[in-house]
Amino acid sequence: MKLLTHNMLTSHVRGVRPGGGFPLRIQATEVKVNNVDFNQEFVARMIPKVEWGALLEAAESLGHLSDLPHQLPPEYENNEDFLRKVHHVLLEVEVMEGILKCPDSGREFPITKGIPNMLLSEEEET
Amino acid sequence: MSDIEEASDTLAEVNLDDTLKPLTENLESDPNSSLKDIVVTIGATVPTGFELTAADEVKEKLGSQSKISKDRGKIYFEISLEKLSQVHRLRSVDNLFVIVQEFTDYQFKETKEDTLKDLEDLVKKLPWTDPLKVWKLNTNLKKKKTKHKKQNQQSSASKEKLNDDGGKDRANQKDADKELLDHAQNTLDLKSAEQNTEKTQEIIVADDQSDGKDEFLTITGNENQAGDCKKGEAEDQVLKFRVTCNRAGDKHSFTSNDAARDFGGAVQDYFQWKADMTNFDVEVLLNIHNNEVVVGIALTEESLHRRNITHFGPTTLRSTLAYGMLRLCDPQPTDIIIDPMSGTGAIPIEGATEWPSCYHIAGDNNPQAVKRAANNICSLLKKNQNKESGTSWGIPIDTIQWDICNLPLRTSSVDVIVTDMPFGKRIGSKKKNWDLYPACLMEMSRICRPGTGRAVLLTQDRKCFAKALSKMGHLWQKGHTVWVNVGGLHAAVYLLKRTLERAGERRSYW
Repeated sequence: MKLLTHNMLTSHVRGVRPGGGFPLRIQATEVKVNNVDFNQEFVARMIPKVEWGALLEAAESLGHLSDLPHQLPPEYENNEDFLRKVHHVLLEVEVMEGILKCPDSGREFPITKGIPNMLLSEEEET
Repeated sequence: MSDIEEASDTLAEVNLDDTLKPLTENLESDPNSSLKDIVVTIGATVPTGFELTAADEVKEKLGSQSKISKDRGKIYFEISLEKLSQVHRLRSVDNLFVIVQEFTDYQFKETKEDTLKDLEDLVKKLPWTDPLKVWKLNTNLKKKKTKHKKQNQQSSASKEKLNDDGGKDRANQKDADKELLDHAQNTLDLKSAEQNTEKTQEIIVADDQSDGKDEFLTITGNENQAGDCKKGEAEDQVLKFRVTCNRAGDKHSFTSNDAARDFGGAVQDYFQWKADMTNFDVEVLLNIHNNEVVVGIALTEESLHRRNITHFGPTTLRSTLAYGMLRLCDPQPTDIIIDPMSGTGAIPIEGATEWPSCYHIAGDNNPQAVKRAANNICSLLKKNQNKESGTSWGIPIDTIQWDICNLPLRTSSVDVIVTDMPFGKRIGSKKKNWDLYPACLMEMSRICRPGTGRAVLLTQDRKCFAKALSKMGHLWQKGHTVWVNVGGLHAAVYLLKRTLERAGERRSYW
């Protein structure tokens, strides 16, 4: 599971408060780092689509925060240095084994071989 | 020079050593031609219904205008010989062939004997030279590719069995592919020849992706070490050939078998080639549709449309169909494209290969499907792997196990949804679809970005789909519909545009 994917995932357990299911807390037992071709424009255009705070939090929990700033720097579109770091965190860091935890209900979703299992039991469905 | 002398001269020029020389040098040494000057007509079979999409791709990648044989799954276009390698990079075509000659209004004789004699006589009048040059060039291109590819494959051999997850058991692969060829060649009717879906379930094909460099697709199935040597030797000796005839029409006095046999006999006499139904070098195509007769030479082998996939599921979609569907939604860079019922991942994998500037997510509720999708992605990664540096390369794709009626995705977070919905035949049931389809459309409308989002959905259960959609006019606007044939079933691909209206929140999260 890449962090870009994680940024879109939310818990959907019944009874969770509005917005309470996001972001899922990551407890990783195995993390992999890949090389992915850097595409500056891709990263620059993807940033507005992601929840920046959640991304930072996720990166930090995996020890890959490096020195990414809490606020987006002005005119980041042309800041290659910055974009490369974002690229790394979005696409190159992968959680292979671990758990995603709903911040509201505490429900744990396992990640096995890079694949999160988000299936709910019948009682948990809305 | 008579045609036959010219043809054999061309073939005699080529021997094993020639494959080592640069090809352009080889052909330009013949004062009669140079690659740029030779223009040939290429025919391509495409999933029925996607002829326009394929023609579009040809225009984009080769600059050629296509003639479309609408609803018959064929397009024709002209290219100069130097572009031959690029033809293999087309993602919307199943099979390619070079046209020897096309007759738009062929006058068949009255009796069966006369008609067949007529076809036999036709052989020596056909312009074989240039098409054979194309075939020759094409074979050389494929050989180079296989050699290069074998070196890569041997080092990344999978340990898993063939039946289960698709390993590299080459002997079985070869047999399996032969079976397919025989199977496919026994079908007489034009239509059924294109319905390879069901028959190819067991066949495992691994294929190379073109990555922007001047490389070309090839089929590993029939080309193992022994096969390669055989073909190499064959060039010094006599060529082996077969004739495949597809015939459709009510008024013919003969069958495709008759035509293939007699035409084949004449070809054998003319070229002094050896007939071999299974282990051939040249496949001559004789396509007869009413009064239209097309003679061609195949440039691809049967199994081209199953590229990308090494691990099959019960209803794995043809990659060419997946490509056509993706192209229909016009992916833009950084679009987030998901397939919420991805099965073995055919669509997202095709997406990640052809549109790497988008982000693709495959999801399914079935654990086996998810596992197969992950394995297919793994196989793809291995192909892209840089052996020397040992670093592993990633591609913009992820897999998740989820329930489509309850997607764990933030509202309005997705740009495009492309999926093959359960037909209710091999997967699920028609009854289940009555509940499933509305629930799907509802969830999909929630996660899809209002205004700019779109969905491309394939289904055979058109009645159910139309009913489900009719209640959602405020969320989904119906665009273009493509009628396709999937494994013999009449299906439709619906293009939907997400309206500006925000979906009513069924659940309490954003």
